[in-house]
Amino acid sequence: MARRGNPTSAIHANMTPMIDVTFLLIVFFVVVSQIVDRDAVSMDLPAPEHAVAGIPEEASYITVNLVPLEGGDIAGIVVGGHAIASDAMDELTAIVRTRMQGGATDVHLRADRATNYVHVHHVIEAIREVGLTPRLQLVVHGDDP
Amino acid sequence: MIIKKRNAGTIGLNLTAMIDVVFLLLIYFMVATEFKTAEEAFPMDVPIRNHGQVLTLDEEPLIIFVESAGTGEADLRIRLDGPWEPIGSIDALLLFLKSNKASGFGSSGLFAESHPILIKPTKNTRWEHAIAAYNAVARANYTNITLDEPS
Repeated sequence: MARRGNPTSAIHANMTPMIDVTFLLIVFFVVVSQIVDRDAVSMDLPAPEHAVAGIPEEASYITVNLVPLEGGDIAGIVVGGHAIASDAMDELTAIVRTRMQGGATDVHLRADRATNYVHVHHVIEAIREVGLTPRLQLVVHGDDP
Repeated sequence: MIIKKRNAGTIGLNLTAMIDVVFLLLIYFMVATEFKTAEEAFPMDVPIRNHGQVLTLDEEPLIIFVESAGTGEADLRIRLDGPWEPIGSIDALLLFLKSNKASGFGSSGLFAESHPILIKPTKNTRWEHAIAAYNAVARANYTNITLDEPS
């Protein structure tokens, strides 16, 4: 007995909803990845209880990171994407001055919670040497939402 | 005239290649994306020194000495310069600052809101302890706070 059938028909999964969702995910990740701060070095920032710190104003700024080492020392300084030695304070002053002459008004200071204060103080003094009265922002861990 | 009907098959785009690329993009962004942690900041002015000279303040500042006594968040020692009772903790410092704050005409407080307050950690004080002291002073609504050179 000969069976009749449509030789050209095939079973197709409906891919439209999956493609919609996938595109939405891609758009989400593309948008979110724009806000990653590449200047920020990963470290364990201080998180004081009941902090009254605020979210810094949307100003042009330069970030100074004290890269932590064991025992409260620092391995170096990353300033505006440039890695410099931990004792290269003249270089730090020069980089911050250049960025401030280019329009930056704030300096974000990021240091690990275990870093010894003496290193932070050297950096503050180097920033003071810039001589353009920058507004220093001492960065801490924000409240988790 | 009889028009011969065409076969009932539909015209379909081949989406396989596009879906492959889209999934690759999705995986790339999922792996490459780093979420920025929420960060806040304490603003601090950095006044210029004239030819290396230390600026003299109009008023005698309140000096707060901070020293780490361990690696815990609360393991710190606080001492005030002057004839003050010893301070045992950050909460006690906050209480002291609030209770001695002049809050208007007729107030018995000693320090005005703009009274200069110097925080003097030792060289080996952990940064989190210096920040904890800074936060306590800021919580008491003082506005003229400076991190001074190590004691």
